[in-house]
Parts: sequence; C-alpha cells; structure tokens
Amino acid sequence: MDLVLIQLLNGIQYGLLIFLAASGLTLVFGIMGVINLSHGSFYMLGAYCALTLTQFTGDIFFSLALGVPLAFLFGVIIEWLFIRHLYDRDHLQQVLLTFALILIFNEVQKILWGSYPHSVPVPGYLQGGVKISELLSYPYYRIAVAAFCVALALAMMFVIQKTRVGRIIRAGESNREMVEALGIDSRLLFRFVFAAGVALAATAGIVASPLESVYPGIGEPVLIISFVVVVIGGIGSIKGAFLGALLIGIADALGKVYFPAFSSSVVYALMAAVLIARPGGLFGRAA
Amino acid sequence: MLARPRPLVIVVLLALAAYAIALPFFGGAFALKFATRVMITGIFVISLDLLIGVTGLVSFGHALYFGLGAYSLYFISPTSAPANAFLAIPFAMLLAGTVALVVGSVAVLTRGFYFIMVTLAFGQMGFSLFFDTKIAGGTDGAYINVRPVFSLGSWQLLNFQNRAAFLYFCLAALVLSYLFLLWLVRTPFGRVLQGIHHNEARMSALGFNTYAYKLASYVIAGALAGFAGMLFAAIDGYVAPELLGWRESGLAIMMVVLGGAGTLYGPLLGAIVYSLVEETLKSASELSAFFSLFTNAANAKWLGGIFANSWSIPLGLFLIAGVLAAPKGIAGFIEKFAGQPKRSKPPEIKPEVEQREQAKAMQLEVENLVRAFGGLIAVNGVSVKFSSNKVHGIIGPNGAGKTTFINVLSGALRPTGGNIRLENEEIGGQRPHNVARRGLGRSYQRTNVILPFTARENCALAAQARFPSPLRFSNSWHRREEDEAVERALAAAGIAPERADIRASNLSHGEQRQLEIAMLIASGAKLLLLDEPLAGMGPEETGRVTALLRELSADHTIVLIEHDMDAIFAAADTLTVLVEGRLLAHGTPEEIRMNGAVREAYLGEWGQEAKP
Repeated sequence: MDLVLIQLLNGIQYGLLIFLAASGLTLVFGIMGVINLSHGSFYMLGAYCALTLTQFTGDIFFSLALGVPLAFLFGVIIEWLFIRHLYDRDHLQQVLLTFALILIFNEVQKILWGSYPHSVPVPGYLQGGVKISELLSYPYYRIAVAAFCVALALAMMFVIQKTRVGRIIRAGESNREMVEALGIDSRLLFRFVFAAGVALAATAGIVASPLESVYPGIGEPVLIISFVVVVIGGIGSIKGAFLGALLIGIADALGKVYFPAFSSSVVYALMAAVLIARPGGLFGRAA
Repeated sequence: MLARPRPLVIVVLLALAAYAIALPFFGGAFALKFATRVMITGIFVISLDLLIGVTGLVSFGHALYFGLGAYSLYFISPTSAPANAFLAIPFAMLLAGTVALVVGSVAVLTRGFYFIMVTLAFGQMGFSLFFDTKIAGGTDGAYINVRPVFSLGSWQLLNFQNRAAFLYFCLAALVLSYLFLLWLVRTPFGRVLQGIHHNEARMSALGFNTYAYKLASYVIAGALAGFAGMLFAAIDGYVAPELLGWRESGLAIMMVVLGGAGTLYGPLLGAIVYSLVEETLKSASELSAFFSLFTNAANAKWLGGIFANSWSIPLGLFLIAGVLAAPKGIAGFIEKFAGQPKRSKPPEIKPEVEQREQAKAMQLEVENLVRAFGGLIAVNGVSVKFSSNKVHGIIGPNGAGKTTFINVLSGALRPTGGNIRLENEEIGGQRPHNVARRGLGRSYQRTNVILPFTARENCALAAQARFPSPLRFSNSWHRREEDEAVERALAAAGIAPERADIRASNLSHGEQRQLEIAMLIASGAKLLLLDEPLAGMGPEETGRVTALLRELSADHTIVLIEHDMDAIFAAADTLTVLVEGRLLAHGTPEEIRMNGAVREAYLGEWGQEAKP
C-alpha cells in the first residue's frame, strides 16, 4: 500500500514536471502553429545548464534563477535564426527543420559535456524526507519540485486569465487569425511565445536534474511524453495540458506498479482511448 | 493528379539502375553493402511517400513497420539454419500490415498535427515494447545468425549471403515497389487518395468513406515498409529496438522531403543523396581531402578528424539549408528542367447532351430540426418540405443559421433533434459519405474543388463516387459509364471542352464554381445543396449559372443558400426564410415578397437597397 502511495506521489510530481514541458509545446503550437520537435532538446540543455551552473553556484535554485533568463535569451536567438522562417511553411517542413535542430543540439551537448552521465546535487537543506511509515519516506526535494511546479502553473494561469499578454494568448488559442486581425505585431508575440516555451522546457530540465542523472538524450522521452500530453489535453489548451500531464503521470506511476512489463505502453493506451472518445483531445476543438 | 514520370526522370532512374547493375563488377564489399542499404531505404521511403506525398498523412511513426519487418526475420529464422525468404517476406508484410491496421484504425481518426503526434507516440510504444522487455534481446538487440535463402524443397534459388545476388534482388524489389506505387496512385483508388490529400471534406461529401481509404493506404504503406525492414535485417543480420524508434521515422521523413514529397521518385533520390552526404561527413579521410584544398596536409587531417567526429552538426545544417532553399526538394529541380508535363488524352466519347429527359429527382422533408452548439441554438425547430424537381432558395440575414442548416442536412453536423427524410427515408445523423451515397450532393461557401486536378479529373473523381468501394484498383470496371457521366456533367455545367484539361487552380472563379456543380452532377446526386453558388460572380456569370440551375431542375432537386436577392427571386420556385435559427416563412417568391413579417425582419433593408 505504501508503495502505491509513493508511486502515486511520484506520479503526480512527474506529471507536474511534464506539465511544464508540455505547456511550452502546446503554447508554441497553439499560437504560432509550429510543431517544435526540438522542444526536448531545450529540456536537455536546461538539465546540462543546471549541471554546469550548480558547479559554480553550489545551489540548484541559484542555477534556476540564472538559467531561466539564459534559456529565454537562447529561445529568442533560435527563433530569430531558424523558427521565424517556418511560419508560412507546412507541417512537414517544420518537422524537418526542428528535427535537424535536434541533431545539432545533441552534437553540441556531446562536444561540451561528453557522453557520460552526471549527477546534480540536491541542496543540503533539502536532504532527507518526510517519514511516511517505518521504512519509507518521501524526499523533501521532490515535494519542493511539486510545490514549485504548482506555483508556476498558478502563475501561468494568472498571466493567461488576467493580463494583456494572456488575453492575446487566449485569443490565439481559439483563433489564430484573430490575433493577426487584432493588429498585434505577431512577430514580436511569436518571438516572446517561443522564448517562453524554451524557458519552460529548460525550467523543467533544471529542476528535474537532481532527481535523476543527467545524460545525453535525456530530453527525448520528455518530448514524446509531452506530445502525448498535448494530444490528450487538446492543442493550445493550458488547462488541457495540466490535466493531461497529471493523468499521464498517475497512469505511468500506477502502470509501473500493476503492469511492470508493459508500463511504458500504459500511457499510449490511455492516449488511444482518449482519441477514440474525443479525437480533438479533452479540451481541444473538434479535429 | 500525379503525372507519369517525365522522360528526364526516366533517364535519371535508368542511369541509376544501370549503375547498380554494374556495381558488383567493379565495387568492393563495402560499396555493395552501401548500395544495397540505400536501395532498401529507398523502398522504405517511397512507402512513406504514399502516406505523406500522396494521401497527405504525415506519419512520424513509419519506422515502427520497418522495425517490425526486421524483427519478423529474427522471429522466423531458426538459430543455425537459414529462413526461407518465400515465407519470411509474406510473414514480414503480414505482421507489419496487421499492426498498421490496428494502429491505423485509431491514428486515422485524427488529422494534421494530431496525426503526426499520434503516429510518433505509437512508434515509441513499439520501440519501448522491445526496449523495456526481454523480447529478442531487449536493449541489446539480437543477431540473425544465418541469412535467408529462397528455397523450394531442397533446391536453393537465391542466397542472401551472396552480396551480389542480394544486391540484385533488392534492386528488383525496389523497381517493383516503385512501379507498384506508380500504378497504385493512378488507379481509381489512388485518385481518391490524392483527392483526400487536397480536400478531404469534399471527398467525403462526394460519398467516399475517407476513413477507409486512409486506413487502406496506411496498411499498404506499412506492409511495404515491413518488407523493406525484413530486407534490412538481412544485410547485417542484426536487429535492435532503435530500428523502430522515432529517429528512424524522422530520418525517413527527411529523405522524403529532401527528395520532394508526392513524386515517389523524389524520395528515392532523397535517400541516395542523404546517404552519400552522411557517409562523406562521417569519413575523416574524405573530409581531410576536402580541407586539403584550403590548407596543408597535417591541418587538413586534423580538421577532418574533428568534423568527422561531430558529423551531425554539418548534416543538420545541410538539412536546414535544404528545407529553406528548396521546399520542393530535389524533384523540384528536376521538374523545372523537365518542362511542362504532357496530359493524357481525354477519352473519345461523344455523349448526346441534347436528349435530356425529364427525370424524377428526390424530395427532402425536414421536421422540427434542431441544432445547438452548447447554449447557442443555431437551428431551432425548422420544418420544411423541398419538393422534387424544383429550385428552392434559402435566404436570411447573416448568422440566421443557413449554413448550419445545410451542414446538418448533408451530415457534416449531427442534428440535436428532429428528422430529415430523403424520399421518406430518415438520413438525420448519418455520416456525410452515407448521405452522399443516397443521392444528396453538396457544394461549399468557399470554392471546394481539388485544385491540382484538371476539371476532367475532378469530374472523374466524382463519377467514381457512384461505385465508391475503397478496394477499386482497376481502371476498367465501370470505365465507360463513368467516362460518359464525366462528359455529360462537363457539358451540362457549361464547361467548355477546351477548358476541361486545365488544372482547376488555373480556372476562373466562375469556372471553378461551375466545376463544383459539374462534380455534383457527375457523382449522380439527385438533390443538390448549394451554399452561395453565385458568391463573387459578376453579372454575366451570375446570369449563366442561374440559367444553368433552372435547366438542372429538369432532373435534379436544388436547394441553395444565396445572398444575391435579385438572382434568387428570379431563379427559385420556393423561398425559405430563416431568421435567428427559426423558420420565418416558406412560399413562392411572390408570397415571400408580400409577407409582412419577412419585410420587417429582413427584406426591408434589401427592399430599400434594391429600390431606392
């Protein structure tokens, strides 16, 4: 029973982390209409960035404070160099260009950090955990990550519901042409949204880095699972991404307990079930 | 429609084939293996082009079938004896095809971005099935100890161990696969696939079950990819989960786009160019040779070593440059040199257009029809009868629910309540293609023809909807009937014979709208639902089309939405006025003109405009 409880907690915490990555992906597609396969690479770069920065700053949270603006800046540069050429192109070319970016980022990672796994330390004041029973405890750091993700999710919802940028984003979710018709400089909006997406993926990579080792290709499973989340939640919907991510996190965790041999297939089965019932996702427009 | 390959393309392909045939006489073992691998990749990518370029399904999980084909050879091979290729090939295709049927039945429900992500996810599911479990060596992959042979009893026909024989076999397989796909896309089946690519809603409204067509194309592509995968496993005798992974799927898409999607031969060239570039970038010695053009030997060797180590970066940049500079791929360049395509000659059939007899069309009855979107009720309890062989107009201010009304009638939207009876048979809530098959055809507010097809091809597609089985691979069945229907429809809709073989994208707006009506006639529809057929037309075109509608009512029932009041009052036998989703009035144009409620709610403004 304790094991199920721990797995459930892990599942929720994993789901919250995936939400950070998936929300970036769903925004970039919902507003800009760009399929960004290199999204996982930004998660990976976030994790490696945390590795290097933590060696200097000594604390993962300092690294976070430094890394996120860096990631945002990096997003601006990548948008300016590559992504802005894709707005009028079809899906196929977007897939191709962002796939080529993955090849490049992976190679850059190999040159800068090598191909051995590394680990990032949990800060001293978050060592240890909450005792759940005689034998089991739940680590403080995981609780901190979950709390951080919830806070960030709430902040995002606030921005989207209450601010000017949020209104534009909401308008873009429901009707992309509308945004252009409203006389908003879409170039600037797109650059901001893409950079925000990169920053979100990198944030997820940074806070996740002490949870598991940092290794080449760490972003790829995140990319795939983010896709699954976006499909389940409905493209462009932050609410859908949040719900989808939690669903996936819990399904994955329980799958590991009850169907250990096929645990990775559980989330795909869930996705198939949602698609059969609602081809446009839970909160999506009908496809 | 995908034209037959131009002479220049045939020359290029024949030269490549000749090179492959000659290769075993001068090439080393490495060159043979490399060429064989490229040919197998070629089969894989042209199967993907059937999905991406022909049907318009961007599959990001196609390596699933390639990998399953590869694993199937491992499963069927005895530990220390060769597998019989006569069994291994059908087994690979059957396994891949079956999985494609299961995955496709879910994936094909989705479109666009969703389809890309769903196929990607299913591909990853296959990958993790082999990666996480102990099946066939799990993460480490597994070895196939003995290469397959073709054998009949004890008689051995061909041994894959022999590199040259294997190369020739793969060449033959590639040529046959290419010819097969080339034939397939030009059959009635393939024509519909191309129609779906460019305009799925239209194909569905014509009566084609697009789901079944897309699924069939997905399964065919999957089985062919499985065949390629089985051959691939025979090259090195090694299979690993990575074969099913998203990287392989992504690389295949790269080759398709690099070569030019939708041309079939393009992706083949893409596979060749990609493989050559990758091999060159990986090889330190060739890079050193390149750098020695600029610097001394020692520096060149050093640079070559560095670049060969990080070959992904230049490869990635090469691909990005390729996408941005040449969106149509290598085939785009070749087509530019090859000049204009030759169109196939129209069939020599002279239909007797003159003797058009009166034929009873269909009547449509609507009872208490309701359609709600959440709290918004767009169609609210409308009851009306459209009698046969008449022109019925639907008018009403913007937002009155006219288009929603037509969408419910044609099956594009499900009714929330009420009945729709076509010739006394209930059709409410049926899928569009089923409604269309019962004889109800529709056109759209925006012109909705298949732009890359000629007018005649568009009509042929529509005529084919009379026998819409997804398994029609032969051109000869029903050929004559359909050709006649096409000629009759073109003539009836007033499309001049010299305009019939021009691509629809090059026709004038008025001609495109006429073509749309021609397609409905060719499809054999007896009741036509037209959504603003006169929109955007000049006075002369309007006159021509209204006259056409009057003529058509001899053997069709016509229901049209129109904003051009003068035209519709002149052309219609009855008028139906919708306001805020409700039926306000129904009657002859004269009755409607006199109706006080109509004048007040709607026509008042028109009356003032028309008669100041």
